[in-house]
Amino acid sequence: MNTSNGKTFGKDLLGLVLLFIFLILFLMSDRLNDSEMISNLPNAWVNVNTIFLSIVIEAIPFILLGVFVSSLIQIYVSEETIQRFLPKSALMALVPAAMLGAILPLCECAIVPVVRRLIKKGMPLHVGVVFLVAAPILNPIVFASTYFAFRSEQTNTILYSRMGLAFVLSIIIGAILYGIFKNSHQLRGENISLHVHGHHHHHPGDGSSTFFSKIKDTMYHAVDEFFMMGKYLIIGAFIAAMFQTFLDRAVLTAIGQNDFSSTMVMMIFAYLLSLCSEADAFVASSFGSQFTDMSLVAFLVYGPMLDLKNTFMLFAFFKARFVIVFMITVTIIVFASVMVLFGVIL
Amino acid sequence: MGDKMKKYDHSFHAYIQGIILIGFALLILGLIMTGNIVYYIAPSMMPFIYFALGTFFLLGIMQVFRSTKKDSHQDSCSCEADHQIKGPFPVKLLIYSIFILPILFGFILPDRALDSSVAANRGIQYGSGLGINQVSGEGESSLSRAEAYLDDPEGYINSLSENNGETDDIEHFQLEDFYDQDWYDDYYSELADEFAVEDTITVTEQNYLDVMTVLDIYLDRFIGKEIEILGFAYREEDFEDHQIVIARFSMTCCTADAGVYGTLVESQEAKDFEEDTWLFARGTIKKGQYNDFIIPIIEDAYLVEVEQPATPYVYPNFNR
Repeated sequence: MNTSNGKTFGKDLLGLVLLFIFLILFLMSDRLNDSEMISNLPNAWVNVNTIFLSIVIEAIPFILLGVFVSSLIQIYVSEETIQRFLPKSALMALVPAAMLGAILPLCECAIVPVVRRLIKKGMPLHVGVVFLVAAPILNPIVFASTYFAFRSEQTNTILYSRMGLAFVLSIIIGAILYGIFKNSHQLRGENISLHVHGHHHHHPGDGSSTFFSKIKDTMYHAVDEFFMMGKYLIIGAFIAAMFQTFLDRAVLTAIGQNDFSSTMVMMIFAYLLSLCSEADAFVASSFGSQFTDMSLVAFLVYGPMLDLKNTFMLFAFFKARFVIVFMITVTIIVFASVMVLFGVIL
Repeated sequence: MGDKMKKYDHSFHAYIQGIILIGFALLILGLIMTGNIVYYIAPSMMPFIYFALGTFFLLGIMQVFRSTKKDSHQDSCSCEADHQIKGPFPVKLLIYSIFILPILFGFILPDRALDSSVAANRGIQYGSGLGINQVSGEGESSLSRAEAYLDDPEGYINSLSENNGETDDIEHFQLEDFYDQDWYDDYYSELADEFAVEDTITVTEQNYLDVMTVLDIYLDRFIGKEIEILGFAYREEDFEDHQIVIARFSMTCCTADAGVYGTLVESQEAKDFEEDTWLFARGTIKKGQYNDFIIPIIEDAYLVEVEQPATPYVYPNFNR
């Protein structure tokens, strides 16, 4: 008994010390910034830090939105409800899924926990994949920002190619992954016995399923999921910040001389930068003079579907083999379809 | 309750997580109070940041209270097993460090705007960055068609139907006519009219990107006009002594999407200023050329060093 008390005390102290450090830093940070030692840091690392924090702070509200939606689903939407709304045929579900993806106003950070939750609730994997790739592009904010970013004549080509491709490709990608994985379990830690075990626990305290306790459940859930996803977001943001700071973009222009290589370069670039889909059009437009419409569309379609930041989050939630197959599929499909669209049709 | 539950100290994890959430909230609050948040986040995204701030405080306090309950895991959800932070002590320490480090970085490292080394890697957009006025090469087609249409709408339509009856071209023209191009040209031609009657074009934070665009499209109307502009100093490697760029970062959401928009300035005093110095320039607009692009150049400029403005970045106002 004594030892366990001592342990608890030590743990409490640890937390208090941490809180104390935060408070001290909160009060002192202005003076710290001016101190000799810290202002002499190499500029490059200050820039990495600026971009890193910028990405993290920017992504946090959207992760929070995502985990709140996810925990609302967890608490208010039952497995039966999802089953009832699903079309009987697996492939029939693809088109409505893409449309639903267009209605969900969630970006690529927020969509990951939501999709995971829905799959846990019994939604088929391939429908989740459609949401994953369609939702970040097909939404009004992205439409507006793409429209305004390309203020010249390119607008219509790029805007409609981006939106059209996102819709069609999400269905194709969903269908391919259905072909490969069917309805197998691809979530990590998908362990039936654990699940039952958990349910078992929930019921004893069930007498209190009041409105208030449901809110509390939602909050607790959100926190747990925030900590689950947050670490991957932070690691992804840090690596993206390194590329953002040290990658010389003139190199890209030098590599991307023809349609083939410039499309490839812009896709790699979209992956590394890990931009929000709301803002990536402005970055793409800054390349407007050096890159073809084809490669810009590839940048704008590929980036929101897949980037460094959300790769980490995907690996957190899905089995590694699934994530790798998903990444390869998305990459090949986007590249091939952009080639076909601009090479053959337009 | 099995052994599993004993091993996982719910209340401790809830407690530490709560404190980390409060730490994030304090970091954001501190940035807002000092105003340094402008280095990280565009003003249009601030409502989301306030949302995050409030949520973090609320959740953080809830977590700390959750931890004081004797057997707190009874309160948690039916899926808690996969939420646990697993692994031996070093792994747990590592995971929590990942959350704590950004908070410490945020507090300890200086809050500074992006500087010219980032600008160099991203590449400066001269003018609006639309690449409209390329001297030669394929870029010409992109806006010259719009210009051709603007100068002589009927002639342009005729030339389209004469030269190529290809459907996609005609379709393209119709789309831009009814939906996009009209609005675009109206907006900038009205702006150009406004600037044209002024004696001196004063570039502010609000109109920065608009002026860049107008100067690109209607450069000929502004040759010989006076212009005043503020930005940080930047030099390309191939610059001569009298050349310098006055530039601003433009940010849409966060610094990851920031681009650099600059204006080439020619002045005898240019060599006296280091990169990243904030400068005010006043000079005359002329038509110049850099890297195969026709760009506006401010010549015979008077340069003076100024304090960095409170908001070092400019923002595209696409919500008009």
